[in-house]
Amino acid sequence: MQPHAEMIHWLFATGILLVGLCLLCEAIVGEEVWRRRPWRRYLWPGLAFTLGVLLWPVMALFTNSAIHMYAHGSWAEVLMLAGGAELGLVHGRLRSPLWRLTWPLAFVVTGTAFIVHEQNPWFFARSAFLHHLLGWTFIVAALFPLLLVWRPRSVALRTGFALMIMTFSVMLFADRDIAPVFGHLSPLAGAPHR
Amino acid sequence: MRRALSVALLALAFPAAASAHATLRSTTPHFGTEVQRAPALIRLRFDQHVKVLPGSVQVLNGVGRNFARAAHVEGTQVVAGVAPLKLGTYTVRWQAVSADSHVVSGVWTFGVRVPAPSVNAAYGAGGPTVAEHVVRWIWFLGMALAIGALGLRLLVLRGLEVPRELDRKIAVAAGLGAAVTLQAGIAAFSLRAEDALQLPFNRFLYGDLSPMAATRFGTAFIVMTLGFALVLAFVYLAWLLDRVVFLGPAFVLALGLAGGLSLSGHDAVDPGSSWLTELADWVHIGAASLWIGALATMAALLWTGAPQLRRAAFVRFSKLATVLVGLVLAAGIYLSVVRLPHLHDLWSEGYGQVLLVKIGLVCLALAWGAFHHYVVRPSLDRGDAGFLTRIGRSLLGETLVGVAVLLVAAVLVDSKPPAQPAPAATATLSR
Repeated sequence: MQPHAEMIHWLFATGILLVGLCLLCEAIVGEEVWRRRPWRRYLWPGLAFTLGVLLWPVMALFTNSAIHMYAHGSWAEVLMLAGGAELGLVHGRLRSPLWRLTWPLAFVVTGTAFIVHEQNPWFFARSAFLHHLLGWTFIVAALFPLLLVWRPRSVALRTGFALMIMTFSVMLFADRDIAPVFGHLSPLAGAPHR
Repeated sequence: MRRALSVALLALAFPAAASAHATLRSTTPHFGTEVQRAPALIRLRFDQHVKVLPGSVQVLNGVGRNFARAAHVEGTQVVAGVAPLKLGTYTVRWQAVSADSHVVSGVWTFGVRVPAPSVNAAYGAGGPTVAEHVVRWIWFLGMALAIGALGLRLLVLRGLEVPRELDRKIAVAAGLGAAVTLQAGIAAFSLRAEDALQLPFNRFLYGDLSPMAATRFGTAFIVMTLGFALVLAFVYLAWLLDRVVFLGPAFVLALGLAGGLSLSGHDAVDPGSSWLTELADWVHIGAASLWIGALATMAALLWTGAPQLRRAAFVRFSKLATVLVGLVLAAGIYLSVVRLPHLHDLWSEGYGQVLLVKIGLVCLALAWGAFHHYVVRPSLDRGDAGFLTRIGRSLLGETLVGVAVLLVAAVLVDSKPPAQPAPAATATLSR
């Protein structure tokens, strides 16, 4: 028996929310305090990497068209890449801060995949609206991790990065049609469906 | 530059030029089933309302004759009457217009009192192309690199003082192999699905892949994708934490999945195939991947990264290679005997000719390996270090021959062996 698509979305939205909360905590208390417990430094990069690994089953088992397969596959890869690079940096295996460019790359790839894989216009249905919104938000929000590469201690940028990730999480929670957040937008879409 | 950026942004802003939205939930008859009575109706159930076009549903026999009558919509279903069908195999090609005016399409097969063919063999599918061969070759190469790099570290270098830097490089090589395997798997599945669906690329992107996922190729793709994602994760952890222990499960997984490629090809469905041929295929591919991949990793990384380990690694690899070559040959000979009923099939059949090229290349690789085993290894045992400085390029050369063998193997996996003689005819002949 396959779980409902909503459950899969909510599972990943929860994971992304946890990543965002960890980042927000780190931004508020500062890197030194956050990393006082050694395991904490691995928390959000490890979570991001794990979410990337977990996206592979979604890609292989729950998508039924090529474009959805490519979109979910690209999310799995960039999450593994960015989470893995961050883990490498906090563990000391990687030295160059330029590895943090994997985050803006992940945002841009993710946003583009969201937009391209949504075949309907913005107001067709709530999921279409949110896919477009998620896509464009990801692309614009890529500025935060991009600037953080050169200004890693900026509290404003760190907070913005964390809030952006939490925003994605909220949008992902609301992404499926049966979740009554904005309602069903287009009569063209027929009865609410997944 | 600015213009290109504007075009890209515009393209992202108006992605609605792409197609479908409705999703096919189920069909009657079901994908790939054998029905005892010819169906009078073809029924497609969608998750939402759709419209039909002229020729929305086609039921095609082996020569392309269409038996479907005009389709109509019943709620969220598309229904088409079907003229009486005789015993045989049939391909259903369908298309429908989503509520958003985008076209969704798909294909599946069924058989009337005979087993349904795989959707890859649907009427209109062209069969493997050059692009498929190349992608499968890259798939083989990625897998060989992953298995070989892991095997070198765990089997050949076990117990030796391996420099940390070399350990990390080997993990990177194995990770690269796993990543290439993942990408090539996706490309191979896409090409196979595109061939079955017979749609232009923009419509293929939204075509229904469910029947493809239900094929052996689809199952192999799913299992290998999940498996190699895990391999990648394990290898990453080994690299990050400098723990060789994580390479163990990665190696077992990668080696265990080596059979997926052959199961996705002709081997699993040809007459004469059995669990024994599947096992032999797995042994053949697994041993060849380990041999070629470990050789490549040794030549490219160990020879330059750890000169102090050259002698020990070479001697140990030479022993391992002897076992691997034995397995490759035994399994290969058995499979050739099963698949080619007559010796003359080797030069008279296309499959036999490809096999002949492969045998030639394998002989070249074996001769090269024999030189290493019978000439270089005894010299090293005698303490002649001169060979060690010159042998690196020779190892690379042998690796390149192995890479060529994998290319021919990629073509061979997609080729169809000659038909087996019918059992009755065999019995008559034997009498």
